[in-house]
Order: sequence, then structure tokens, then C-alpha cells
Amino acid sequence: MNRKKGDKGFESPRPYKLTHQVVCINNINFQRKSVVGYVELTIFPTVANLNRIKLNSKQCRIYRVRVNDLEAAFIYNDPTLEVCHHESKQRNLNYFSNAYAAAVSAVDPDAGNGELCIKVPSELWKHVDELKVLKVHINFSLDQPKGGLHFVVPDMEGNMAERGAHVFSCGYQNSTRFWFPCVDSYSELCTWKLEYTVDAAMVAVSNGDLVETVYTHDMRKKTFHYMLTIPTAASNISLAIGPFEILVDPYMHEVTHFCLPQLLPLLKHTTSYLHEVFEFYEEILTCRYPYSCFKTVFIDEAYVEVAAYASMSIFSTNLLHSAMIIDETPLTRRCLAQALAQQFFGCFISRMSWSDEWVLKGISGYIYGLWMKKTFGVNEYRHWIKQELDQIVAYELKTGGVLLHPIFGGGKEKDNPASHLHFSIKHPHTLSWEYYTMFQCKAHLVMRLIENRISMEFMLQVFNKLLSLASTASSQKFQSHMWSQMLVSTSGFLKSISNVSGKDIQPLIKQWVDQSGVVKFYGSFAFNRKRNVLELEIKQDYTSPGTQKYVGPLKVTVQELDGSFNHTLQIEENSLKHDIPCHSKSRRNKKKKIPLMNGEEVDMDLSAMDADSPLLWIRIDPDMSVLRKVEFEQSDFMWQYQLRYERDVVAQEEAILALEKFPTPASRLALTDILEQEQCFYRVRMLACFCLAKIANSMVSTWTGPPAMKSLFTRMFCCKTCPNIVKTNNFMNFQSYFLQKTMPVAMALLRDVHNLCPKEVLMFILDLIKYNDNRKNKFSDNYYRAELIDALANSVTPAVSVNNEVRTLDNLNPDVRLILEEITRFLNMEKLLPSYRHTITVSCLKAIRVLQKNGHVPSDPALFKSYAEYGHFVDVRIAALEAVVDYTKVDRSYEELQWLLSMVQNDPVPYIRHKILDMLTKNPPFTKNMDSPLCNEALVDQLWKLMNSGTSHDWRLRCGAVDLYFTLFGLSRPSCLPLPELGLVLNLKEKKAVLNPTIIPESVANNQEPVISSNNHGQSVGFQNTEDDHLIKETASSISGHQQGVKRKADMPLGSPLEPGQILEKNEDSKVKLKIRFSNSQEEEEIDMDTVHDSQAFIYHHLNMLERPSTPGKEQSAGEINMHPVSAAPLSVFSKESNSSKHSDHHHHHHHEHKKKKKKHKHKHKHKHKHDTKEKEKDPFVFSNSPASARSIRSPSLSD
Amino acid sequence: GSKQAGTPADNYQLARRRTLQVVVSSLLTEAGFESAEKAAVETLTEMIQSYISEIGRSAKSYCEHTARTQPTLSDIVVTLVEMGFNVETLPAYAKRSQRMVITAPPVTNQPVTPKALTAGQNKPHPPHIPGHFPEFPDPHTYIKTPVSENNIFISFLILRKCKEKEMHPNPEPAKCLISVTLPLISEGRNFSQLPDLLCLPFSLLPVIAARPFTVPYLTALLPSELEMQQMEETDSSEQDEQTDTENLPLHMST
Repeated sequence: MNRKKGDKGFESPRPYKLTHQVVCINNINFQRKSVVGYVELTIFPTVANLNRIKLNSKQCRIYRVRVNDLEAAFIYNDPTLEVCHHESKQRNLNYFSNAYAAAVSAVDPDAGNGELCIKVPSELWKHVDELKVLKVHINFSLDQPKGGLHFVVPDMEGNMAERGAHVFSCGYQNSTRFWFPCVDSYSELCTWKLEYTVDAAMVAVSNGDLVETVYTHDMRKKTFHYMLTIPTAASNISLAIGPFEILVDPYMHEVTHFCLPQLLPLLKHTTSYLHEVFEFYEEILTCRYPYSCFKTVFIDEAYVEVAAYASMSIFSTNLLHSAMIIDETPLTRRCLAQALAQQFFGCFISRMSWSDEWVLKGISGYIYGLWMKKTFGVNEYRHWIKQELDQIVAYELKTGGVLLHPIFGGGKEKDNPASHLHFSIKHPHTLSWEYYTMFQCKAHLVMRLIENRISMEFMLQVFNKLLSLASTASSQKFQSHMWSQMLVSTSGFLKSISNVSGKDIQPLIKQWVDQSGVVKFYGSFAFNRKRNVLELEIKQDYTSPGTQKYVGPLKVTVQELDGSFNHTLQIEENSLKHDIPCHSKSRRNKKKKIPLMNGEEVDMDLSAMDADSPLLWIRIDPDMSVLRKVEFEQSDFMWQYQLRYERDVVAQEEAILALEKFPTPASRLALTDILEQEQCFYRVRMLACFCLAKIANSMVSTWTGPPAMKSLFTRMFCCKTCPNIVKTNNFMNFQSYFLQKTMPVAMALLRDVHNLCPKEVLMFILDLIKYNDNRKNKFSDNYYRAELIDALANSVTPAVSVNNEVRTLDNLNPDVRLILEEITRFLNMEKLLPSYRHTITVSCLKAIRVLQKNGHVPSDPALFKSYAEYGHFVDVRIAALEAVVDYTKVDRSYEELQWLLSMVQNDPVPYIRHKILDMLTKNPPFTKNMDSPLCNEALVDQLWKLMNSGTSHDWRLRCGAVDLYFTLFGLSRPSCLPLPELGLVLNLKEKKAVLNPTIIPESVANNQEPVISSNNHGQSVGFQNTEDDHLIKETASSISGHQQGVKRKADMPLGSPLEPGQILEKNEDSKVKLKIRFSNSQEEEEIDMDTVHDSQAFIYHHLNMLERPSTPGKEQSAGEINMHPVSAAPLSVFSKESNSSKHSDHHHHHHHEHKKKKKKHKHKHKHKHKHDTKEKEKDPFVFSNSPASARSIRSPSLSD
Repeated sequence: GSKQAGTPADNYQLARRRTLQVVVSSLLTEAGFESAEKAAVETLTEMIQSYISEIGRSAKSYCEHTARTQPTLSDIVVTLVEMGFNVETLPAYAKRSQRMVITAPPVTNQPVTPKALTAGQNKPHPPHIPGHFPEFPDPHTYIKTPVSENNIFISFLILRKCKEKEMHPNPEPAKCLISVTLPLISEGRNFSQLPDLLCLPFSLLPVIAARPFTVPYLTALLPSELEMQQMEETDSSEQDEQTDTENLPLHMST
């Protein structure tokens, strides 16, 4: 194994090898937020003529570079500071994404690049030729870093230690270059010596062993010396300095915990569990924790909740909790376990390249899952897997796929493996944060699939093998060239698997790792009584974006009267129907217990079932061994049986969701029974509450008895003598605690015939609040009270009459008034007796927003803005900001949007900045297909600036800005912008691209990419029919053939949900498909003339094209761009015909557009095209509706 | 008690103890002792002090049990019976011939108990209640004031003032004000004088303005004093419970 790995071994992209690095920070000034220090890298040249050394460094000011004590010249160039240079008019996202990816590659350490280029002094050339060691010494300083290092300095009296000021390193992926010059790659390992000189009252925590702490002469400062002898990548180096309180773990003395002053009791409680996690991992991996010590540091204003670095993890201080807190406990423990799993895979074992990231994330996620299973039980584990699966499926179907193992270069098709995305996946730093989260989620799910294939035992053996190889390698000297065995690669991992298990998992890898997409099954069945056979039909949708075709085994479990039977079906290309023989004849009259899957035998009331069929329920892929979404049809009684008797929580949850569609008394009974059953998993019971509320609402006219759940709640939690008074809180039984929390929230969703929340329910909830008594409780009731407020918010229905009257306390709806009083009281109480993590304030803010939205109180963001200020607890700020974001959307407030955006730029907390962009993306004030007064040129410029240069200090933030830009404006030039003066579009290879006429309307119809306006509408023409794809540079008089290029530019189908290529695949023959591909790939090569000068990434490719003379008619030709989207609506009729019935959604969409579009656009033009008369524009787009009429259109437009 | 303590409370204690010593000595004389060792006298003094304290404590409980604030004779009697003392012998013993009369102890100043936070005026007795009966307690302990829009602010302000002026080192009464009763004086609706309140248009009800913290995580994470105290209480009560339920399966085990 060793040898094989060695053969394929890791090839460094650098002409040298780093062996040791010293980082020394002499001075940290909290007041000025500055850092001064030096680094010294020991490197061995691997080629003779090494004369330049490229290193990574961002935002550091570099004073001096010496190589072997000789002054060396250096150049510093960071292209990511400003992605698109100069003030270009270019505003399309495609262009930006390409330029950004190019900029990131230009400094990518994995490609041997870097921002800092050091010239080896000529005196040393001879020395280098002998491949002798070089020492590169760099003096640097950092002043007010905006990323990489985060300073938290509370504004109060006292010295820095008393104020609790601290600083820590942070960032997304490899971000170490932000705070010291290094080779910021996960694949360049070396040993470390770290020195930090800090104030005597402060503690510096860093990687490796603390060798000594030395006071300076004046005794006012001390220096912490850390040594890390295990080869580690610079990206895994971290630092935290602050007046920490220190706790040595009482169970494991090599583990030390650090927290901010006053929090020690919480730290004690929170970390008291960590040793069990340690034991668990060490046991399953049969490997000792690789580092000699482990440190956990809890800091404020964390970048992420958990960040794992070599031998230390940095956590958010908000994970700390006391023994009274129930809800946070499992969450925090999960964070600790996650961090520890990453110590083994991620920190100790690093990755060879970005495309191997999935292995590390997968393994650490997988062993974390095993820990979950052991700690929280199988039910929780399966629930979690289902949750993760649902998430990834939803994300992939939404965005078009997550690719775990992207292969770059090489094949043509793989050139851009993620053409459906608006960002490049070649680099971690260009990824959308959401994509990366989903990537990690998919990675561990795929690991689980591999486990299903090769068994857990082999899986753990593989991990053990990786670890033991790495630990042997880590103890070796650099010269033995063994260090690369501490890096994991996809191929190495797969080889390990095949060696250990002897099984071929290649198909599995091909399906889930080398390819993106999930599987979508639709299942239905019929029972053939004569043959006693179950005829199962399983269809797949593999044409929508984000899906793929699945071929292979699929497990189906059939619960019959005689027991539960597993069948493995072979899903093949064309077979939809599968006959499954049944074991039992229907014989419901015989009284007999029915055996379940787990061997249990139960009595069932079989009266509900179909007399002819022995089938109780059917499940497709019950073990979740395919990344899939299953929509299965079976009758309501089958779902009810499944809910009652199937013991798998996932099946129960599926049944509950399915039962929402069957509002019958039988469903009601099944749900109530589950609710009452104490053996049932609490999450299932919680879910049942919400389903019951929905069913009750659907059955409102026939519902009898008290409101759903009320009597149950009364029986479980209220006094026997006075059912409206709740018992003193006792949360000792967590299951019933969670139920007690959830039931009122679900009950509040009940509606009566007038669609109002029943008075009885509201009063009941108010009584719960009133009589809530937590004095005798061992646990805090803050989450419970918060949920009671959520319940109040849920009970709010839209105000009946809103006639601009000013609302006062007196004319408020009496129910709402009660709610409002309660909320106000809680909110004020929080000021006096704040709850843990201010959960109650958070709920109050949310509830107030609900009241505003429903028109009960005047919509006003002032309150939220005051809570969103810096200085409030982060959860409160997020809740307040969420309300402001929502207000911005509903009230279309430009002012609030500006306020939010300025916060994105100026807020001191990186997480808040990120979160605002994230919330704006999820709840955007407008989208690319919408007309909004907010969408204007200034906003485009502002956002462009934000992503182009304003966020260069934080990868995550920049990607967040890109996401927002995409949501607001799409991939192409935002519609609200005027045309660039030289609207010339180049389209290369035009001769090859012969498009089928059906594509054009399709792409136009699907990309309601709004449009660039110009002064020349009169001259526009519809060119949907154009047969060739030309370079547009003619005047209006010679427009004819060139429209294609312009149009495509306007539409940019890359990011649209329906790519022309994809749609056509079904209908057209393969030839057409091929051609379309071509045309797609050309998209990127289209460039605006005026921006060609700026776009450095492309310039030399296209120089020859520029030689063609441009003619004065550019503006006019560009003006035509307008016409296409305008004509979208009628075109959709055409497209509908062309692509038959497969896409019912889209048709729907089109129809919808059909009516809307005309109006909308008239409106829009009125606003924006001052130069035009309405008549002028109207005509052309009526004409351009039909592709056939294209020719006729030309004439009127030309006559203009 | 040779130490000279400075505080009035200590002086009071000393004086009391001295009196007790005289009592013990006289009883000893009465019993026929001519001299006694200091240690013996001390021990006896200790015993008599404990005995009397116990009578007092116990009598207080009986009195509180019957919802009174001051013990009556019957409380004492029940206490003595409970402690195994034959009450009927007491009058005879009191009238015994050889008893010695001790002079009243020198008057020492009662230690000044820190003035409790008074809220409102104590109600004067209505005419049908004799004047020697104890005063009404603070109104907030019995007045029913439904929780409503205003009073919370008042209580907030009171708490704030208490804290600011350190009117009372012990926050107990104030805390109790807030957590249990909330209600207080209902006059003074003039919110404009209260800088901490913000009458926001959104809610039509006055809300305390959100004030940023310098260290926001501390208030958010640390349990409040009230909670801490609660936790201690429940912890101790739980220990009692645990002894009862030890043989039950522990579903809380991790």
C-alpha cells in the first residue's frame, strides 16, 4: 500500500518543499488592532534554477524579506483585491464569476501561485543549484485586519484584560494568508514553531505543545512558545489571544479548555462531556488522538460556530451553557463532536487538492454520524440522515446539482462541470456558502452509502489504515519524503477501500461522486388479486435539473399480513413495472398477530384495509441507500398503518407528511394515537402535532369535540381539577418537555370556519403563559416561554379591515391586544431578567413582525433596527435583521435596503455581515424577473462594488455578495442598466452554431432576464428565427443574421433553470443536442467590445477578433436586445408545443407569464425609456411573437 | 466572651450572653454550688441559650403556621409541651421561695436592621382592630394589582433606583418585587420622565428601549441570580427526592 501510494504520490506544484516555519508575533496592540511579527520559512529547492519563490499573503504589510540573510526583492500582487479592474461598465455576473475564478487561480497555492513573489538574490543562485536549504525571513505587520484575524474589543473602562478583549484567527477554508505570509495550502505540510508575545494578563493559545512561557524583562509581557512537530498545513494553524480562564479537563489532562472571563462555570459544565467523545472516536478508529494535546477555545463574535485547527478548535462562546439549559445541550455536544472528528480527518490528515475535500468532509461527517447514533440513539440518527437527505435533495433540485469530486481540465465536457451554477467550483473560495454546506452534507451521506456497500467494519479499517499510515509518516523526518502520506486523495482513498474490502465500489463513486444530481422516484402500485402479485411501478425523473438516472438495485419493503418482506428490484433502463409476489392471501378474518420487520408481533385492527389485498404498506428504499426523493402513492389507510405500526421513525415521518393530504377522522385518530404513545420517538410526535393541526383545519366543518390537541395537552400537563391551569413546570422527562413546547405552537395554527384562530385556543395559550410557574423546575423554561410566544404569533391572522386609519390601542382587535400586551410584557421582562441566549426577545421580535405583516400594528422597522445594533446578543440581532429584511421586501423600502447594505460593509461582526447577505438572498427584496422600484443603477453599482472590491477580505462574504447579485439580477446584465455605449458583442465560432429554431423561443421564454434598454426601440427586430449566430456589428440596416449573438448575450441561459440544451434533450435527436452544447459553450466567449479592454482573462484569446472593424450602428443593434424578453410571452405558446407535455410546471409558468408580461413591460417601458413612444415599441413585440413572423418584422423596424 | 467587638449587633449579643451567665450562676448558687469552673458555666450558658432559642424558633413556626405574625402565649405553651416540658409545673416553679431576683440587664441598643425597601405606606389599622396588634405589612404583599401595561415600568424603575442608589444592599425584596408580584404603585403615568422607556409607535404600548451591552454574551449566557438561586434550591430538594427514588430506573443517565 505504501509503495503504491508513493508511486502515484503527491506532486507538489511548487519548485521547492517547505519543511519548517517559524511564526513570531512580537506585538499585538488591541487598541489599534495591529500585529507586528515575522515568519521564517525553511525551504528546500527541488529544481536547480529556482529563482522565484511564491508565497501567499493578504492584507499584511511586508517590510522586508531576507533569504539566507540577504535582502531579497519582492513583488506583491493580489488580483482578488479588485476582481474586475478599472471602472468598467461591465455588470454581468457571468463575466464577474469568470474573472473571479481567474483571479483566485492566479494566486492559488495548489497551482504553485501566490500573491507574494520573492526573487532569490543572485548571490544565492549557486547555492540553490546545489538544492541547499534556503531560509526566507519576512517581516510583516497587520493593521486593522478586516479578515483572517478578528479583534473583539469591548468599549468600556479598564485595561484590555479587564475588558475581555481578545483576538482570534478565523476564515473560510485556507485563510491563514490573511494573518501571516505562508504557503496557504492544505497540501504543503511542515513543522511549526509559534511564538506570541502578549500582555502578561493575556493567554495565547495556538497549535501544538506549549513549550514555555517567558516573561519579558519588564515583567509586563510574556512570550508563549508553541512547537508543533507533526507536519501540518499552514491552513490548519490558528491563534487565539485573550484574558482566558483556563480549565484543565478533569478526565483527560492533555485537554485544556479556555473561555472568556466569568464563564468558567459554564465552561466546566459544557466540556464535562468531551472526554466521552474522545473515547468514542479513539475506540472506533482504534487509533489514539494524533496530537499530544487538545485545546478548546470559546470566543465571542465567532466566524463560525466550530472551527477545527491542528490540535485546537475555536468555538463560539454562545455554545456554552449551564446545566439548566435543555435545548442547547445536544446542539453544543454535536458541535464538540464535530470539531473532534475533524481533528482526525481534516487537521491531522489533510487533503491533496480541493477536489479531494469531499473525502475528508465525508469521513469526518460519517464518524460524527456514528457518534450521533451511539449518543442519541438510532432514531435520532435516522431522523438526522433523513433530514440531511431531504436537504441535499431539495438543494440539488433547486440549483442543479452538487458535485463532490470535480475534475478539471482534461475532457471537453468537464471543462465546466458546474455550468448550472453562477460561480466556479474550481476553488473553495469561489463557492457559495450554501453550496459548501450542502457539499459537506452530501459528502457524509455518500460515505454512508459506501458503508452500506462494504460494511462498517471495513469502512473503519480503511480509516484506521489512513490514520496509521499518517501517524507513521508524521513521526518521520522530512528527508524520508513520507509526509505526503498524511494527505488523502480520492484515488488513494478508493484504493484503500478496494484493498481492504475487496469490493468494487467504482459504480457507486461514479454515480454519486463524479457526477452531480440526485434521483427522483415516483412510485405507485396495484395489487393483482388473481396472481397474488403486487405490481409496482417506479418511474424516474432524470431530466429536470439536479437529477440523474439511477440504474441498479433498489430495496422495497412490503408489509403484508404475514409479515414484512424485503425485495430487491433491479432498476433498469426501461423497466418501470416490477411484479412482486405476495406471501399472504388476504385473510383478515383470521385473528392472528402480525409480525413486523423487527420481529415484534402486534395486534392490528384490520377493518380499515382493503378486503382483497394483504398489503398493509409499502416502502421504497427504506434504508435511504440512494440519494433520492421518493414520491409514493398509497391509500390513506396504508399510510395510517405505516404510521401506527412501522417502527422506523423515517417511515413514520413520511406517513405523517403523506397524511396531510387525507383529512379524515381515521387520520385524525392515527395521529392522536401517536401523539399519546409515549414509546414513540418524540420528534415523530412533534411532527404529528403540526399534521394534526393541518388536518383539523381541512376538516373544520366536520370537526367535533374540543380543538385538536387541547384535551390531550390538558390531560398531560394541566391540573386535574382545573384544566385551564398548567401544572408547575417539570422538565425532567425530556420527551414530554419537547411535546409540551410544541403542542401550543401547533394548536395556534388551528383555524375556525372564519379562518381565525379559535378564541378558546388563544385563551388557552394565554393561560399557559399566565400560570406558567418554573419555581420548582430544575431546568430553565426560557425555550418553553419562547415557544409560547411563537404560539401567540402563529395564532395571528390578517387584520380584517385596514383602512389607513392610525391604529391605536383602543381600536385594536381585542384578541390582538391581548397578544400584544403579552409580548410587550415579555419583552420588558427580558430587560430585567434576561433569558438564556435571549430566546424570548428573539421570539418577541418575530411575533411583532408577524403582527406588523398582518396589518394589526403599523409596519415599522425602527424597533428592529434598534435591536439590530452592534452590542446586542447575536441571536437577537439576527432576528431583528431578519425582520428588517422582510420589511425591505414587503414595503420595498430603499432606505432600509441601504441601511442593510451599509451594515454588510461596516458591521464589526463577520457573521452578521455574512448573515445579512444570506437573508437578503433567501428573502430578496426583488428578483431578476420582477419589476421593482428598488432595482436601479445605483444599487447595481453598489452591489457590484461590494463583490468586486468591497469584500476582498472575506471569501465567504464575497461569495455571499455574488449570491445576492445573482438572485437580484441573474447572470446577465441587470435590466435596469442602460446599454453600454459600445454594445458590441462578439460571438466566436459562429459558423458552427446552427440552432434549431425551437431553442430560441424556449430560451427566451425561460429567461425572463430583463433587458437592457436603449434609445432605439423602434429599430428592434425579432430574430428568433435567425439561422446563424453571428458577430453583431452591423447597423440596423444589416442586422438580419446577427441577432442571435445579441440575444444570447441578453439571456445568458447558463443560470436559468431550464437550459435550452436540457430541454431539448428529450425531444430532439442527438445531433441537435450536440449543436446546442456548442452554442452553450460559446456563451463564455462572448464579450462586450468595450469591456474587452478590461477583461484581462480573455483579452489575448480574442485579440484577433477585435481587428474587425466596428461600425457605427452598435447601439442600434444592441437596442434589439430589448425585444426578446418583451416578446417572451407569446413565444411561450410556441415553446409549449415544441416540448410536449413533460414539463407541466414550466407550461404553467409560461401561461402565467403570457398574461402578465405584456402589461408589465408596457409599464416598465413607460418608466424607463423616456425616449420612446409606447406605440413604437408595441408593434415590434407583437410581431416578434411568432418566430415565423420574424422576417416580416424587419421591415417595419427598418422603416423607422 | 473576652473579645471586644465593635458593632452594635455584637455588643447586643455580648450583653445578652452576660445576662444569661448571671442567670446560670444564680441557678447554680440556688442549687447549692459555691463555685464553678468557667468552662462549666460556659457550657451551661450555651445550653440555656440553645433551649431558649429553640423555644423562640419553634413558637415562631407555630405562630406562622396559624398565619399570625407574632407569637401568643398558646404558641409558647404548645412549644414547651412539644419539647417535653411539663407546663403545669411552671407556675409553681416560678413562685418558689428560694429564687433569686436578678436585676434587669443593662439596656443596650437594639441593632439597627437595615431598613427594608418599603413600598408604599402601611395602612393604618381600621377602627375595629385594637392598636396593639401588629401593623399591616407592606401593601405589595397583599394588594392585588393585575399585571398591566404600566406597572411593570414602575417596578423596573424602582429596581433600577435601588441598584443605582444602593438603597439596599440586599436585592432580595426588589427581586421579589419583580419576579413574583410585579405590581406596585399605580400612580405616576408620566412616562415622558422616564428616559429608559421608549413609546414606540409599533406597539402602542410602551416598551423599554433596547440598550446595547458592552459585553452582550455575558447577560445572554450566564444564568440570572434568580435562576442560580432556584437551581440551588431545586438541587437540594432533588437530593431529598433522590433518596426516595433511588430504586427507580434513572432515565436521565447519559
